[in-house]
Amino acid sequence: MINIRTVLRVFGALLMLESVAMALALLVSFIYSEKHSFHLFLSVAITFFSGFVLHSAFRNDEITIARREGYIIVTGSWVLFSLFGTLPFLLTGSISSFTDAFFETMSGFTTTGASILSDIESMPHSILFWRSITQWMGGMGIIVLSLAIIGEIKIGNFQLFAAEVPGVTKDKLHPKLKETAKRLWAIYVVFTSSETILLVAGGMSLFDAVCHSFTTMATGGYSTKNASIAAFESPYIHAVITLFMFLAGINFALAYFALKGNFKKILNNDEFRFYGKICITFTVIVSAVLWLRNGYSPLNSIIYGSFQVISIITTTGFATANYELWGSFLLMVIFLLMFTGGSTGSTGGGIKMLRLLILTRNSRQELHRLLHPNAVLPVRINGKAILPTLINNVLAFVVLYFLVTGISIAIISLMGYDIQTSFGAVAASLGNIGPGIGDVGPVENYSHFPVFGKLYLSFLMLVGRLELFTVLILFTGSFYKS
Amino acid sequence: MRIVIAGAGEVGTHLARMLANDNHEIILIDTEELRLRPIDSSLDLLTYHGSATSVNILRDTIGKKTDLFIAVAHSEDTNITSAILAKRLGAEKTFARIDNMEYLEKGTSEFFFSLGIDNMIFPEYIAAQEVLGLLHVTGTTEFMEFSGGKLMLYVQKLEENAPILNRSLQEIAESFKTHQYRAVAIKRNERTIIPRGSEQFQAGDLAFVVSTPEGIDEMMLFSGKENFEAKRIMILGGSRIGKHVASQMQKESEVKLIDIDRDKCQILADTLENTLVINGDGRNVELLEEEGITRMDAFVAVTGNSETNILSCLLAKKLGVKRTIAEVENMEYISLAENTGIDTIINKKISAASRIFMHTTNPNITEIKCMTGTDAEALEFLVPEGAMITTAPLRDIGFPKDALVGGGIRDDKPFIATGDTHIMANDRVVIFALPSAMKKLSKFFE
Repeated sequence: MINIRTVLRVFGALLMLESVAMALALLVSFIYSEKHSFHLFLSVAITFFSGFVLHSAFRNDEITIARREGYIIVTGSWVLFSLFGTLPFLLTGSISSFTDAFFETMSGFTTTGASILSDIESMPHSILFWRSITQWMGGMGIIVLSLAIIGEIKIGNFQLFAAEVPGVTKDKLHPKLKETAKRLWAIYVVFTSSETILLVAGGMSLFDAVCHSFTTMATGGYSTKNASIAAFESPYIHAVITLFMFLAGINFALAYFALKGNFKKILNNDEFRFYGKICITFTVIVSAVLWLRNGYSPLNSIIYGSFQVISIITTTGFATANYELWGSFLLMVIFLLMFTGGSTGSTGGGIKMLRLLILTRNSRQELHRLLHPNAVLPVRINGKAILPTLINNVLAFVVLYFLVTGISIAIISLMGYDIQTSFGAVAASLGNIGPGIGDVGPVENYSHFPVFGKLYLSFLMLVGRLELFTVLILFTGSFYKS
Repeated sequence: MRIVIAGAGEVGTHLARMLANDNHEIILIDTEELRLRPIDSSLDLLTYHGSATSVNILRDTIGKKTDLFIAVAHSEDTNITSAILAKRLGAEKTFARIDNMEYLEKGTSEFFFSLGIDNMIFPEYIAAQEVLGLLHVTGTTEFMEFSGGKLMLYVQKLEENAPILNRSLQEIAESFKTHQYRAVAIKRNERTIIPRGSEQFQAGDLAFVVSTPEGIDEMMLFSGKENFEAKRIMILGGSRIGKHVASQMQKESEVKLIDIDRDKCQILADTLENTLVINGDGRNVELLEEEGITRMDAFVAVTGNSETNILSCLLAKKLGVKRTIAEVENMEYISLAENTGIDTIINKKISAASRIFMHTTNPNITEIKCMTGTDAEALEFLVPEGAMITTAPLRDIGFPKDALVGGGIRDDKPFIATGDTHIMANDRVVIFALPSAMKKLSKFFE
């Protein structure tokens, strides 16, 4: 049966980790000598103390993580992080309702970037920083972070890793999982700090640069400005952020080999090539329409076109323009791109490139089979035939993805929303994008949803971030039977 | 330690499982992706899909530094090739699993060493050696010698008639003055316990006893067993193990070997001059009775089929054979088979894996044995100068509760340890440890 003591002990360790991140926000509030530092200190203390108590209460228990514990720990810790993550918002009075604060935190950790705040710029620096760092932690993953820096979980750690890291197959960079996690985080830190330097060089303030780098690399989309990236008029800044959004959508295992000088591996990778092709094709389509039909200048159409296409494909959700005014064709394109997602093993959400690639190739083989009924037609990825069980897994994932989307659209429209808003809110939450279409477009926010609506969308964000199976398995009866 | 295991068969997988939870970096190579997937998703190691004889794959997996390369694929040729390649590509120490007696002969093994294979593992030969040992020491379930037989570890199955039943370790120790042996562990109802003085023995227990050579007869007496000479032996299955056991035992005993395959029997009869080779089905009671199973001293079942081995041993036991040994290769059956009354279960995977495992441990460990029915291990340590274990008598050094010092050898003389024993540098000590104690142990020997 499920070993609840192990689960609680791991929760304790993870909460202490969250309090460290919160302490960074406290530090920011000291730097800007904000008046509510004490309230932030209180949130750090409550989180740390709760974690400490849980951890020491079960300190003497052997850690045994089997499959069931793995799923509970991963899903549970994301919910727990979001619950405690509301403390800075609630105690400082930045957000008064618990539902709103929970929505904002869950949207942060899952790197969705959907907000209920209408005036972001009125928030204190420490709160803006906390919003950004929730995304940064959630981007690479809470469990992956804990595996990299705390030695708490030694046995059964792969169960956790596999349940949290997005992707079809999980790439290990090193025989030891702890080392793999360390390397993933190292690349993440390298990318984030390079972006910060480049943004500061482009004239952004250090605070804004750090916050935006956090949310770009996490493909999150929280901004410190009401107008998102549109607030910065420099084309250079737009270009830098476009580049790093693209990088954040690459499989980090490939990025690791590229950083080590092995470019062949990344250039020959089917998923990377597919991702590149999709990004380029849609940038060309959107830019062309912007130039020829919407009257943008050629340079602007490329800058605005590429930014928006990559922002949506990688599920970041930054905006430099209100795409809802671009006409129905481009709006349709943007909406469809909400389902693709970045590469597997990236920080992006959505269905992901590898799955789309496998499905396309599989469908092509099925067509081929009509002519050659007895042919053996393997689906090849990176030159190797993949196992049929993997194709089944991908098919099941996509079917579930659309099933959840369909049911959720019906639920949201029951709350009285029009079709566009229902489609937009669901696609943007499940895909961890943030801004959708309709009443949740890039210049609107989610504050108008009723309490249940906000909670339901938060749930969708979690389901999307943990790639359906990890969360949905907890709702199956057989999970609780021994 | 970085360890590359080529071949995710039974030996490879078992080794990976044993090693994965220590601080080793393990890479497991196999050509079958389906075989790797369950291991990849449950153990902290890296799996690599491909051929272990591919130079590119070996280069990738061996990397800058690999301490141990273990080739345990099914095919001997693959293993030899990949071990030689691995050595050239920078692996420090190489192991290859072979299935050919000739390679182990004097002169031949040196030749392979010069090619780059440091150690050759022949699981069937190791298992056969174990069977031979058990046919000579017939009163015990399993045994192991330390320092060339100066100290032994015996595993005794306690039957209803054992004189020590329902007596505590303390009482037994007080009843004699010579401290020649000591129980270091008891396996009861699937659990292995390290006993304290108040622990009482119960029927059905497996007692792990460390003894000096002088103490053995007394110890046997107390556990209700005795050593007898195996004069008549019946072997079921002309496998490599069966063949090797027969060829050794035929020199001193009357050996009958039964195999179901007529052609195989022809070949066996040709090579085994003093063995009576019989062609027939070992599950056939009439055949066994006809061949006089009731008069046999020992019955060894080593066919390739674990079920046949277990069932025929049970039959032999029922017909009055005193010593039954069954080869059981399905890990799931081992516990089950042990509780049925078969005297000893052997498993060539565990034997082979534990041979290799020894090379991955602390350099102070000079001998190691993984027991078949329990995951505990018996280890022999050489105590270095200034080690923590030498600082005070055993009861005062805070020795882990899940391990026990059974005894040792000092100046070539064996001794049995008690709480008052003070271990000194250069002693060899024999320790029985549960897996949970393994990490804690090494700090006592630094």
